[in-house]
Amino acid sequence: MPMDMLTRLKQLAAQEFSIDAAKLDPAASLESLGIDSLSFIEFMFKIEEEFGVAVSDEDLKSIKTLSDLERHVGAALAAAGKA
Amino acid sequence: MRRVAITGIGVVSPLGNDLQEFHRSLAEVKGGIRRLPAEVARSSGVQAGATVQWDSAPLLTPGEAANIDRVSQFALGAAAQALAASRLDPATADRTRIGVSWGTGMGGALSVDASYQEVYGKNQWRLRPLTVVMAMNNAAGSNVAVKHGLRGPFANFSTACSSSAMALGEAMRTIQGGRADAMVAGGAEALLAPGTLAAWQALRTLAPADANDAAASCKPFDKRRAGLVLGEGAAAVVLEDEAHARKRGATIHGFLTGYGNSCDAAHMSRPDKDGQIRAMREALHESGLQPADIGYINAHGTATSVGDVVEAEAINTVFGESGVRVSSTKSLHGHLLGGAGALEFAVAMLALEEGLLAPTAFLEQPDPACELNHVAMKSERVPPPKAVMSNSFAFGGSNVVLIAQRN
Repeated sequence: MPMDMLTRLKQLAAQEFSIDAAKLDPAASLESLGIDSLSFIEFMFKIEEEFGVAVSDEDLKSIKTLSDLERHVGAALAAAGKA
Repeated sequence: MRRVAITGIGVVSPLGNDLQEFHRSLAEVKGGIRRLPAEVARSSGVQAGATVQWDSAPLLTPGEAANIDRVSQFALGAAAQALAASRLDPATADRTRIGVSWGTGMGGALSVDASYQEVYGKNQWRLRPLTVVMAMNNAAGSNVAVKHGLRGPFANFSTACSSSAMALGEAMRTIQGGRADAMVAGGAEALLAPGTLAAWQALRTLAPADANDAAASCKPFDKRRAGLVLGEGAAAVVLEDEAHARKRGATIHGFLTGYGNSCDAAHMSRPDKDGQIRAMREALHESGLQPADIGYINAHGTATSVGDVVEAEAINTVFGESGVRVSSTKSLHGHLLGGAGALEFAVAMLALEEGLLAPTAFLEQPDPACELNHVAMKSERVPPPKAVMSNSFAFGGSNVVLIAQRN
């Protein structure tokens, strides 16, 4: 069974930011996880590569949590016909 | 005038990634120059390099290491060692009184090279967002400041091969002027990327790999010298106001007492004797020393045909018959370019503190045109001298000379 998207996002975030994946609360703000805006932009670059999608600058601004990220990447996949 | 004490040194080098291993390699004359990977040699034409055997762990997590250029990783490694050795803990000190003075020739050259490969090599114009902050010239020093929360004066020098010597000299000025109690000063370079190597190869100043022993490819002052060998790495020194150091009971390894800085203003790459002489004399004058007080010079000695002769003439003009001992340890650790001045200052400090003179390795056939009192082939133990000198003479005509004294 393929890994669900949130689990994969948590894995990638854990690796990028050296945070224990088990402790990553999807509803917690990225800021509270110690992820600053520059680090997040670099992370998004890797997410876009991983999933083969592009998240617009406008959408990027509204991503405040991992749950937000999951929703936007899911929507981008659907729009690209990959979901 | 405040005196500037040296309270900690750290290195990441082709001769080892801590001061102890660095010293051991110098003492045992174990070189760090190697053959570069075949595919690099084939494409760039550069056969030999002095590479660092580097593992970013445990200094950095894998995630951090992926986002920090190799040159900054070296800087972080050397600075952490220097601070630990000095036992100056920024957490309990006034961080606004501790600054960073750094030097590098080409900064994040590997990140620049990677981005050019994407754009021009693969027509891939979507670059990683951290490209700029990884590549910029001040990234290495800034990473040091961020890591340790050093909020005092910050400066970054980029004068090719004299960059980090200048960083030490200007850090000395900053402390003398009362603008900081301590400075982490040093330099780093990491540019062994195909594009950069090809550019260096085009200059026709690089030595080919020695056919019998790649480690012996760089032979300063030798009749057989064929050019320089590029290296990578970093060195950092904690410089501190003497009173500040004494108040906290720090171990003082010596004092940085002389800083000569001149420009040839003559040619972009050909060195000029007069500029070098002026820099050495300025450093001596500032130290209040006579040439006979200097017990050892770590020469710039890159092993180019012209450069070594000019430097030998300059040293002989300043030092006359004093017979000062001279070596170029680039024969062992290669040319760290922007990191060279700081790393070679660490070599000079070994002579000052322990009386261990690291040699010009592979100097079997001294060139009569480079007549000096060479420390050749083998390291030597001598009574620790009163003072030592380190020369850094750069493309662009920048000459920097540092003098350290025992007390």
